[in-house]
Amino acid sequence: MQYILLIYENEEVYGPGKSGPAMQEIVGKHMAFSRELGPVRVGGAGLKSTASATTVRTTNGKQTIHDGAFAETKEQLGGFYLIDVPDLDTAIAVAKKLPVFKDGSIEIRPVLGPG
Amino acid sequence: MNSAALDRVFRDASGRIVAALASRFRHIDLAEDSFADACEKAVEVWQRDGVPNDPAAWLYRTAFRCAIDALRRHRTEARYASHVQPENGNDDSIDDEILIPDERLRLVFICCHPAVAIEARAALTLRLICGLTAREIARAFIIPEATLAQRLIRAKRKIAEAGIPFEVPGPDAWPERLDAVLSTVEVAYSKAHEDAAGSGPYAGFAAEMLELTRVLAELLNNEPEALALSAIIRFAEARRPARVDSQGMMIPISEQDPARWNHALIEEASHYLKRAIELHSDQPRVIQACIHATWCSRQDLTNPAPWHAILTLYDALLEVRDDAIVRLNRAVALAEVSGVNEALDELNSLATGLKEFPPFYAVRADLLRRAGKIEEAISAYDIALALVPTSAERRWLEKKKTDMMLNK
Repeated sequence: MQYILLIYENEEVYGPGKSGPAMQEIVGKHMAFSRELGPVRVGGAGLKSTASATTVRTTNGKQTIHDGAFAETKEQLGGFYLIDVPDLDTAIAVAKKLPVFKDGSIEIRPVLGPG
Repeated sequence: MNSAALDRVFRDASGRIVAALASRFRHIDLAEDSFADACEKAVEVWQRDGVPNDPAAWLYRTAFRCAIDALRRHRTEARYASHVQPENGNDDSIDDEILIPDERLRLVFICCHPAVAIEARAALTLRLICGLTAREIARAFIIPEATLAQRLIRAKRKIAEAGIPFEVPGPDAWPERLDAVLSTVEVAYSKAHEDAAGSGPYAGFAAEMLELTRVLAELLNNEPEALALSAIIRFAEARRPARVDSQGMMIPISEQDPARWNHALIEEASHYLKRAIELHSDQPRVIQACIHATWCSRQDLTNPAPWHAILTLYDALLEVRDDAIVRLNRAVALAEVSGVNEALDELNSLATGLKEFPPFYAVRADLLRRAGKIEEAISAYDIALALVPTSAERRWLEKKKTDMMLNK
């Protein structure tokens, strides 16, 4: 089955524009983690900070464009992995090992389709 | 066989058969539906041809065939059938012990998976493992049947869609997953236990918890915590007949007449506890079970209450599980051994963690009363009374408060 692992962290820990020293450190960890995952990792990416986000909203057929991320929360979507594993337990085990700088949440969602 | 006897046969067979089918077809709904179909057929066939020698084996074979038929009908789900062989399904000489693989443990771990909504876990376990109907479970949890049915549907959909595996967890995840199973049972049982009179909506529910923990202890007979939990629930249930007086008022454990306890249940509990201690004597639930066992070993009210032994056990428990509830219970024993003032000091340090917990105020009121701090005791009694919903506990608090006012 394919799962997406959505990484939510308070992006402030990575400094303005995600350019602080913490960023260097976490990128290194993600690279090592990706190597460790090998073929389990189908895809993934880190995201620029929510300051760079733009949202297109459709309401009653009318579309508007907004500055910023979809929702204002304490933790923001900062990156994702797409993985291919046999079941949820394996996906949970991968999510537990996924590097976060300090506190954070990993949301695990199965991908639609025959899997 | 009358319909009540038939229901009994169906219920007794249901856990093992549904678990075996669910595990075989990796599909809980298909397992439940096929078992229901088999029961329907049984009513008709057994009436005509008589009840087979081994009804469970008959039900399993029939349900298995119903499942295969259903899969053939739903060609879109044919992929489930691809790895299923109808092996030995037609050999009537095999008895059910061999014929029906015992997959209940797998199913328990699925029902209590941390990814399943916490409020659905106990209900799903009681439904699938103990064969309770949605109506019975809804009554036990005092929620509308439609709400309960929705929860079950949502939980089963989550299990199917999220890809929760039909496996017993591996060693890495074992402690966390076992704890999720045991906590599910504890939470469900605490609902049955909090009503001392046992006349409330949870009264019949305790019997189901005895059955569920019996099955768990059988399936997990090398897990001290699972055995200890089975023991705890039996010790607690054994005391139920003595927990209220003839006026419907709660009687605290130290004042209960041991002659009114259920000694057969105490014996069963001791048996589970003995095995748990042999395996691992200092796990939290094992120590909790020892606390229950110490109370239940009291012969009659003329014996002194075993407060020293209880306090020692709470000290040991604190080493492995340091939380506010353990400290509160320990404070009750501390008051008896070291005096009320020491216990009150301990309680003051717990106040923030137990703000909404009625027993905290009940204990506090009792200690303040004994320390002669009447005004403070009155306000603690009033807070406890405002928080306690069940009648036997209310009556006891009201009496304690009234007695105190009269003696002022």
